[in-house]
Amino acid sequence: MTQKTKTTLLMTRRQALIAGSAAALAAPLYARSSFAQSNVINVGVIQPLSGANAQFGINSRNGIQLVADEINANGGIAALGGAQINLVISDATSNPTQAATVAQRMMSQDNVVAVLGAFASSLTLAISEVTERRRVPLLTMSFADQVTGRGFRNIFQVVSKASALGGATVTHTRDLARANGTEISRIAIMYEDTAYGTAQANGLRNSAAANGIEVVMDEAYPLGITDVSPLINQLRRTEAQVVFPVSYLNDSLLIIRNMRQQGITTPTVGGAAGYIIPDFRNGLGDLSENVLSISPAAYDQAPDYTDRFRDRFGYFMVHEAQEHAACMGVLASALEIAGEANPQAIREVLASTTFDQGWATVMSGGRIAFDETGLNIHAVPMMVQWRGDELVTVAPSEYAKAEAVWNA
Amino acid sequence: MQLLFTLLQTLLDGIMLGGVYAVLAVGLSLVFGVMHIVNFAHAEFMMIGMFIGWLCWHYLGLDPMLGAFVALVVTFFFGMLVQRFLIRPILGAPQVAQIFLTVGLLFALENAALMIMGAEFRSVTTPYQTQSVILFASGPERLLVGMDKLYAFLMALASGAAVWLFLNKTRFGTAMRATSQDPMAAKLMGVNTNLMYAVAFGLGVGVTAFGGSVVLPYITASPAIGTSFAVLMFTVVVLGGLGSVTGAIIGGIAVGLIQSFSALVLPIQLQNLALFAVFILTLALRPEGLVARRRS
Amino acid sequence: MTRSHPLARLLLVATIAALAVVPLFLDPFGYALRILCLMLLFGALGQAWNIVGGLANQISLGHAAYFGIGAYSSTILFGSFGLTPILGAVVGAVLASIFALLLSIPTLRLKGHYFALATLAAGEMARIVANSWTSVTGGPVGISVPFRPEAGPWALQFETALPNYYLFFAAFLIVTLIFWRVKTSAFGYRLRAIKENEIAAEVVGVDTYRVKLQASVLSAALTAVLGTLYAQFQFFFDPDTIFGVATISVKMALIAILGGVGTIFGPWVGALVIIPLEELANSWLGNSLAGLSQFTYGVLLIVVILLNPRGLISLAETLRDRLSRRNGQ
Repeated sequence: MTQKTKTTLLMTRRQALIAGSAAALAAPLYARSSFAQSNVINVGVIQPLSGANAQFGINSRNGIQLVADEINANGGIAALGGAQINLVISDATSNPTQAATVAQRMMSQDNVVAVLGAFASSLTLAISEVTERRRVPLLTMSFADQVTGRGFRNIFQVVSKASALGGATVTHTRDLARANGTEISRIAIMYEDTAYGTAQANGLRNSAAANGIEVVMDEAYPLGITDVSPLINQLRRTEAQVVFPVSYLNDSLLIIRNMRQQGITTPTVGGAAGYIIPDFRNGLGDLSENVLSISPAAYDQAPDYTDRFRDRFGYFMVHEAQEHAACMGVLASALEIAGEANPQAIREVLASTTFDQGWATVMSGGRIAFDETGLNIHAVPMMVQWRGDELVTVAPSEYAKAEAVWNA
Repeated sequence: MQLLFTLLQTLLDGIMLGGVYAVLAVGLSLVFGVMHIVNFAHAEFMMIGMFIGWLCWHYLGLDPMLGAFVALVVTFFFGMLVQRFLIRPILGAPQVAQIFLTVGLLFALENAALMIMGAEFRSVTTPYQTQSVILFASGPERLLVGMDKLYAFLMALASGAAVWLFLNKTRFGTAMRATSQDPMAAKLMGVNTNLMYAVAFGLGVGVTAFGGSVVLPYITASPAIGTSFAVLMFTVVVLGGLGSVTGAIIGGIAVGLIQSFSALVLPIQLQNLALFAVFILTLALRPEGLVARRRS
Repeated sequence: MTRSHPLARLLLVATIAALAVVPLFLDPFGYALRILCLMLLFGALGQAWNIVGGLANQISLGHAAYFGIGAYSSTILFGSFGLTPILGAVVGAVLASIFALLLSIPTLRLKGHYFALATLAAGEMARIVANSWTSVTGGPVGISVPFRPEAGPWALQFETALPNYYLFFAAFLIVTLIFWRVKTSAFGYRLRAIKENEIAAEVVGVDTYRVKLQASVLSAALTAVLGTLYAQFQFFFDPDTIFGVATISVKMALIAILGGVGTIFGPWVGALVIIPLEELANSWLGNSLAGLSQFTYGVLLIVVILLNPRGLISLAETLRDRLSRRNGQ
């Protein structure tokens, strides 16, 4: 492996000599000068900053920016002589090919020590194919099971997998209902047919089967559906005691409003994404009150940290921002421990350390440690509930900040 | 009994949805009918209309049904400018160049909206969003229609009728139709064809923006919303027959019905598979669309 | 390209030589090499599209269907049965040809916009099928090509992107050669007769349906093979990307059209402009205001088409004509 690094370095020097002849084709590619000063550490940030996921990409970028700015304001990475974190931020658009290209660019031109990203699992999976081959660590909050399910050595997932999220949704819901004297035996699942929707629906389904709960409706619908009436008509004919919709924002608003139109008051437990962003509350107003949802992280678990986000950006720290901030926090700690800005040294630290300082503590469990697949073993899915403009953790009980309200 | 109610409810849902598709597609049809241009950026004007409707609601407290008129006026003039500076220069260019100019426009408009409005999802809150009218009830069964859909449907019909009247009952509309059928002859008869094209384009995107605001109570505005409607709009327009108002309305209702009825027999996930299959078959068997336009 | 200027011929040889040699001096894990790979891939895709879109003027906006069929065929066969992607590509090409045949029944008699929209819908249908047929395709989450470098060259997987580059390069040259053969053959003349005037072509005895069908199948098969090569290069893809309207179908056509539709070097020029243009917009502006890079890309597209609706190659031709006129005097 050292052999390979050496060849790569030689190549780079030879490449410099040849640059002239390659210039015609590659001129634009070299246009951006990369930071090469020793007191700056380049960290790659790849997010969907345009397209349908732009909002989540921007939130994620904000979270990372906040942490990086704090580190730099506090004197940078001490173990590296106060080196400053320089974020190299790029738009992955909504296209995995583009995301992989961006990752390649960051590693070649900017010599990033690690990459953070990229919200959507399709983007993250595409990036990981590139980072794995170049042995650069990738820290992510994408929760598809495949992220850490392929035996890669350089990927680190700070959140629970989608299957675990789906599973926890069912068990927490059953426990909350039971505490209120209702035994759940029939549920309905409706989900958008995206990577996120299908993965989480799988978790719901498996967990229901394991707990002897009957799934009386199990329907995927196309992304961007304009009319959910067929879904709700179907729901009305079932005897479901709880409905689990897994969707982004527009569908979540449609589903809740359409249920109200038809006079259906079945408790609704959302599957993260569209159910736990401020726009959900803005769109539904009072209808959002007491809606439950699963969330891979909850901002009320670490208000000392997440309030800084609110102060700077003016809205509560949404989960993707919080998890990406944790990624950045873990990376900074790893840099301090490794004492060198070398991707493989960082990878070794990430794989072998329990991180319980700084922003690493904002994740559920208060600390982060990765198993051999790269999954954070301390991640616990949280059940949150809308109270006014805020989300409050209501389960699991050791993390709950308030008693759950169960309307059934 | 239950089956009957299911069928009737599905029919009703399909028609309500179809009416909305119709108003979105009337504008596209108009642009194509007069200028013979396939405008891939057309759905972006729906997105613009949605944002205008949202701004009117948010800052002026205007209901989206009224905000729709603001959207119509603003995008009408904006559309005329787009036509004058981007579309007119390529009217005589190869078809492929026209297609890709509008693709460029699509990228530019979507991302301009992202820069101006941000990536947040904008939704309005109105009382009628959660209300519905029960048309008929018997025991546990009932036929109902959501108020938001009903309003949108009525607005859609009204705007379709207005466009039809404009095209068929006014001198200006007659001149516009003449331009669409034979621009040379129209020019010789003293019609200002450039003006006709500009007005047709402005009106086309204006009506679509109007439709965007009308659907705001149940579709959330965001910069990327247009792309999810682009293919659907073309399906409506072509199914009904390119370039006619009645065609767009019939096409819209046909698409609404295909989507809602396919959900009875197929997984909902496959509703657009059914739609596109019908679309391709219709094209093959009846390339003029369901409503054939009289050939000039 | 009937009478080629000696300067143009020299330029062609120099370009091919440069494409063959330059990558040897680039970082085999690097970014520049990846961009070159993408340029060759999309150049080849544009060229494959050009056979039916350029020569016969059948503006297809559904070629992503063939591309995706190729990528999925080889990946599924390799993942489940360990079948080499070389054979997987052949299976993909056959399946894509069958799809093209089936699609041709309802669409090939359609003209202009109607054909474009029908193919657009067909591409979307392919995407929906891949998205919902989870047991075979893996569904919306996408599919990874299992990384087995130990399987040797038969797995078409390499430690670096350099062998991928030469695969793309070979594919690019082969597709270009096929396009050139088609264009200059009697078959090509028939296609162009259809482009100029379909009814007239029929009157003089061209079986227009048959000719268009042959061109579609050829184009589909080539596109599918390129899909396999892409899968082996990217290692991960999902239905939305591989069957994407904007990411594949429109981009293929755009590259051929922007360069100069129906010309042999059109896709070369198109790929040379579009891919770096996208990258430039992304790398310079991707870090600033969200949306600015895509906005700029859109505006540049508009400007290029407004300045030159007949494609960039026509610029070169105008220039050449002027040059030769001056030489003649």
